[in-house]
Amino acid sequence: MTDTHVIVDRTPPLVTDRHAVHVRGLRMSFGGTEVLHGVDFDVRYGEVFCLLGPNGAGKTTTLEILEGFRVPSAGRVRVLDMDPAAQAVRLRERAGMVLQECGFPRQARVAELIDVWRGYYRSPRPLGDLLEVVELTTFRNTQVRKLSGGQRRRLDFALALAGDPDLIFLDEPTTGFDPEARRRCWAAIENLRQLGKTIVLTTHYLDEAERLADRIAILRAGSIELAGTTHEVAIRAGLATRISFATPSALRRGEVAPPAGVDLVPHGPESVCHTANVTVTLRLLLAWAAENDLGDLTGLAVAAPRLEDTYLQLTGVSPDSGAVQDIGDHS
Amino acid sequence: MTRSARLAVRQALLEQRSFWRSAEYALFTFAFPLMILLLIGAANAGSHLPGTAIANTTVFVPGILAFGVIVAAYANLGTKVAVLRHDGVLKRIRTTPLPPGAFIGGLLASTAATVLLLTAATGLIGWLAFGAGPRAGELFALVGALILGTVCFAALGLAVSSVISSAESAGPVAYASFLPIAIISGVFDPTFSGLPSWLSRLVAAFPVKALAEVLQNTYAVRPFPAWDLLNLALWTVAGAAVAVWRFRWHS
Repeated sequence: MTDTHVIVDRTPPLVTDRHAVHVRGLRMSFGGTEVLHGVDFDVRYGEVFCLLGPNGAGKTTTLEILEGFRVPSAGRVRVLDMDPAAQAVRLRERAGMVLQECGFPRQARVAELIDVWRGYYRSPRPLGDLLEVVELTTFRNTQVRKLSGGQRRRLDFALALAGDPDLIFLDEPTTGFDPEARRRCWAAIENLRQLGKTIVLTTHYLDEAERLADRIAILRAGSIELAGTTHEVAIRAGLATRISFATPSALRRGEVAPPAGVDLVPHGPESVCHTANVTVTLRLLLAWAAENDLGDLTGLAVAAPRLEDTYLQLTGVSPDSGAVQDIGDHS
Repeated sequence: MTRSARLAVRQALLEQRSFWRSAEYALFTFAFPLMILLLIGAANAGSHLPGTAIANTTVFVPGILAFGVIVAAYANLGTKVAVLRHDGVLKRIRTTPLPPGAFIGGLLASTAATVLLLTAATGLIGWLAFGAGPRAGELFALVGALILGTVCFAALGLAVSSVISSAESAGPVAYASFLPIAIISGVFDPTFSGLPSWLSRLVAAFPVKALAEVLQNTYAVRPFPAWDLLNLALWTVAGAAVAVWRFRWHS
């Protein structure tokens, strides 16, 4: 980890207003079925952009179009100022791709394989540097088939980074991983970001999008439902800020009336209210507490609207179903 | 040298390295034909084709040359590409700027190198152990026939790779699709005969017997194998057409 920080200091992340990816009115049909119904979004240089959505939303199809593997039915797509389908070879010189489920040659060793991949590019990144970024330096002589799933995925990252690309596509980078493997993959993606790379990733994990992305677009059934920063997306979904505190015993016993003008719901030991205007609500709550001699409101917490709530609201999955982590995960 | 050619050479060296590192591939590819050469060759040594002065081994050794070409170019290349496709390596290659031509060219060059080594070993052992060598002045014809055979069976190998549905079945499919034909083509037994006439006509339509006869012609005097050359040319065209038409980067 210490070595990685050296890299961090050398090239600070740089987000600009120029667009690495520009998509307008993107439509895609297979047979007679349209799976993308006019998708619009932009990705700025240096940012981590996340396409979030359940399986079947069209995330991978969108990515395949950006990567030049598919020609869209309609719409304008520019990637690094190129037409991906028409300039595929040139694009691949400058864009690294991590596809879902891509194998390695049998018998290959980690460093050897990365080195072969470096040979495919005109100006590759140094081998030692690549091993460091994905934290595989100690596995450099390990046979690929002996790596764990998470280590293989980090090797995927190293191969995608071999040509020192400006832009990296990651298609569901941590699907099916245990928490520890996911955490290390996230760390590797953070390292990529610190190198100043623009990253476009798809995921159906909310926490992954929330943790990694600068900006998010929620794709559902072939359309962008919402796009913006994590916070903007939550706000624009019309979600209120959540204020909670330990229910005062006087309130629980009914000795004190609930505060006027606040939609307070005692939820057993916890009292919760949702509001669009945090300052006013807090003022009312604190005044009510002082008036009724309740002292400090124990455990007072103000939580900004979370992406998870937005996502659940949009996709209509109840958080009580326990499926938060596994939405759309059929694998 | 152009960049693509340089990348192709690199790829070929890489394939050779992984070929020799992979014990099962290398051993099977080399040991199988050479073992048959020595074992069956020893059984044939000293005998002649019935009613002729042609030594059995001068027919048998070039037959094993043909067998070696088929193992290296058809079975090996077909298996290799099927496994690469099934493992998702082709798909991954596709994400890089490596030109497809350089990648396929590298695979073919590596295949040619394997064929060269295997046929050189077969020819040398055939000559040293059984005194069977090409007729005087036929060396160029022999090399030409080996090249034609390699091109033909490499095309067929690429073609068959696209009908193989899994990595596990790659080897069995590749071998099962030519070994029976090789056996009834008499590749392992110069005196092999007694097939029903419909079956021997059918066998003659396949390129295995054709390649064996073209090579045998450079060792022992036989009628000029014009039909066999035509046969190989047609299979080459058919194999290449299917290979190009059916080629997929992913399974």
